[in-house]
Amino acid sequence: MRTVKKPATYDAIIIGSGMTGGWAAKELTEKGLKVLVLEAGRPIEPDRDYVEHVPIAELKFRGMNNRRETLKDQPIQRTCYACDEWASKFFVNDTENPYTTDPAKPFAWIRGRQVGGKSIMWARQSYRWSDLDFEANAREGIGADWPIRYADIEPWYNYVEDFAGITGQAEGLPQLPDGHFLPPMEMNCAEIAVKEAIARQFGRERVMTIGRAAVLTQTHNGRAACHYCGPCHRGCITQSYFSSLNATLPVAEKTGRLTLRPYSVVHSLIFDSQTRRVTGVKVIDGQTHKAMEFQGRLIFLCASALESTRILLNSATPEFSTGLANSSGELGRNLMDHIMGGGADGIIPGYLDRVQFGNRPNGIYVPRFRNVSSREKNFLRGYGFQGQAERESWQRGIHESGFGASFKSRLRTPGPWKMTFSGFGECLPNPANFVEIDKARVDAWGVPVLKIHCEWRDNEKTLLRDMMIQAAEMLAAAGAENIHLFNHNSPPGLTIHEMGTARMGADPKTSVLNKHNQAHDVKNLFLTDGACMASSSCVNPSLTYMALTARACDYAVSEMKKGEL
Amino acid sequence: MERREALRLMGAASVFSVLSSDLFAATLQAQIAGNKAGSLGTLSAGQNEIVVAMSDVMIPATGTPGAKAAKVNEFIDLILTEWATEEERKVFLEGLAETDRRTNALFGHGFADASAKEQAAIVQGFDEELTVSHSEYSPKEPRPWELTLLLPFFAQMRRLTLVGYYTSPIGQEQELKVDIIPGALHGCVPAEPEVKP
Repeated sequence: MRTVKKPATYDAIIIGSGMTGGWAAKELTEKGLKVLVLEAGRPIEPDRDYVEHVPIAELKFRGMNNRRETLKDQPIQRTCYACDEWASKFFVNDTENPYTTDPAKPFAWIRGRQVGGKSIMWARQSYRWSDLDFEANAREGIGADWPIRYADIEPWYNYVEDFAGITGQAEGLPQLPDGHFLPPMEMNCAEIAVKEAIARQFGRERVMTIGRAAVLTQTHNGRAACHYCGPCHRGCITQSYFSSLNATLPVAEKTGRLTLRPYSVVHSLIFDSQTRRVTGVKVIDGQTHKAMEFQGRLIFLCASALESTRILLNSATPEFSTGLANSSGELGRNLMDHIMGGGADGIIPGYLDRVQFGNRPNGIYVPRFRNVSSREKNFLRGYGFQGQAERESWQRGIHESGFGASFKSRLRTPGPWKMTFSGFGECLPNPANFVEIDKARVDAWGVPVLKIHCEWRDNEKTLLRDMMIQAAEMLAAAGAENIHLFNHNSPPGLTIHEMGTARMGADPKTSVLNKHNQAHDVKNLFLTDGACMASSSCVNPSLTYMALTARACDYAVSEMKKGEL
Repeated sequence: MERREALRLMGAASVFSVLSSDLFAATLQAQIAGNKAGSLGTLSAGQNEIVVAMSDVMIPATGTPGAKAAKVNEFIDLILTEWATEEERKVFLEGLAETDRRTNALFGHGFADASAKEQAAIVQGFDEELTVSHSEYSPKEPRPWELTLLLPFFAQMRRLTLVGYYTSPIGQEQELKVDIIPGALHGCVPAEPEVKP
């Protein structure tokens, strides 16, 4: 990526180079704008930094992770499954990037500061939201009504899917609209058996489908098909999964209108009270710690939900004393994440002479079935299941008795098929889950940090219990043995679907952003990452962030051309 | 050709699926080479001999090399030196001393000098004790960041021997025949006939 420093006024400044920043860069440069992308972290060179094909034998601790170092430098990041011995370098140093919480209310803020952001390590699950989601707040009188419906975003789902490439199977379900899919990945032997058993028991109420993922099952837009090495979160030299680094940023770069500046820690935005516009960005250089400013006609906040809100809170002015664009008082409020970690696993008997060939970077999905056609008494909304079946590896030997030649021979052969369902539940917007600036702490660059107040409430906890029981019921329907219910007690944040804190809405009195992700209070300020969400649905949000970003860019440029911006 | 370059060119040419993944074997080999043995950081020469012998009883050479050839002892020493807590290390080293005490009591010499049959008898004893006390340590695999070696000695030894062996070049390539780049996905296909040990 080109990394030039030149003093100029840009048509647009995009803060963040990850999932949404990459899309904003592609859309705005393709529409002719001269764009500056500010990225807080370092540049990533795929040839040098991707580690997906590094054999485990090359790792110093052979996959057991550098325990002492991560305990010291990444005590929070290390709790994310993807922060492994290969990929921990894609996660922030927690001592340089502190935040605070009430000790009794932990929040796991998982962050990636580098060109590509968390789009490098994301799990690539890509689902459309439906009107079951967009209408939920209005129907139940919770939070603020979404200012858009499925019809508003559908063309943009089509648009981003056609570019990114999403593998999946059309199912015709109203609660999980089908997309423009590349061919689906195959289920394995045990998954096929479980899918058929669920269909027999539950009909169309519960459908197990193959995961919909931003991974290429065939060559797509010049990017190669997946070679099934498996661990996408360590990078992909063939660009076979979607990340900003693999897909959107190279397109923006080709326009010749992109300037990407890594090591640019944004401190705050500069607001001109005369024109009521943001005119630029205050930046601390990540390496030299020198303060500098950049000017732009449009500002797009794409720094991740909590970073974008942090920047607005740190940009308070005499007029906006509680944070820029916060006349509603809603900035920082209604933090959400999906509640996860509840489910069940069990052994599916048989198929011991069959295996799965290839490491499928995708699982299965059971779309939401609670409060779809039924009405549950005990909870609002619902959850979906991700999961997979796999044959246990040599690692089962760690917990098995035996030694010697027979033990070794046994462990060479994979174990029985184990099927796991793990739920992802919707989190209700609640103003008591919020973030504010902790005036007592700054990060390594002197930027005031967030204090996060967030906890699971009764509705989420009830969903978690229900997902454990229903997962076990589906396993029982499939004839599973040794069914084991689990609850990992995951803190909010760890699902890495943190959303809200600068919600969209029709009414400027109760929302920060309008239906085009434009700040009600500041016309030339857009925010298109997860902070904009008015509710959380139970499905993975990234595809929706992509679609909202492309949609907002289209609106911003058309307004600009009309002279409205 | 460098491994990544090869992959990228193939990605660009979109002919990946028709090429044999053997092509990558050589370049991967080059990556694996060069992990040379260092000197021991924790284990004394005597303790090291016990670890070498015991790991090889647990995972012996059969049709493929065993724990000794895979230098499992060096991995265990590294974990004791740079990963384990003081308390975990103490449990392990005490376990090695106990191993020698038991062998001496039964056979009149240390574990490393014992016959294969004698060593197997000692390991069998540890294995049976652990099975009895199985519920006292977590039988479920912990999540990676919760991994601990605060376990009975033989549970430590079994975990470290298995990890050390199966993640070694010998374990990955010869025993498990891991193919890092399968190049295709087939959900449900016949297993290859098992290689007889």
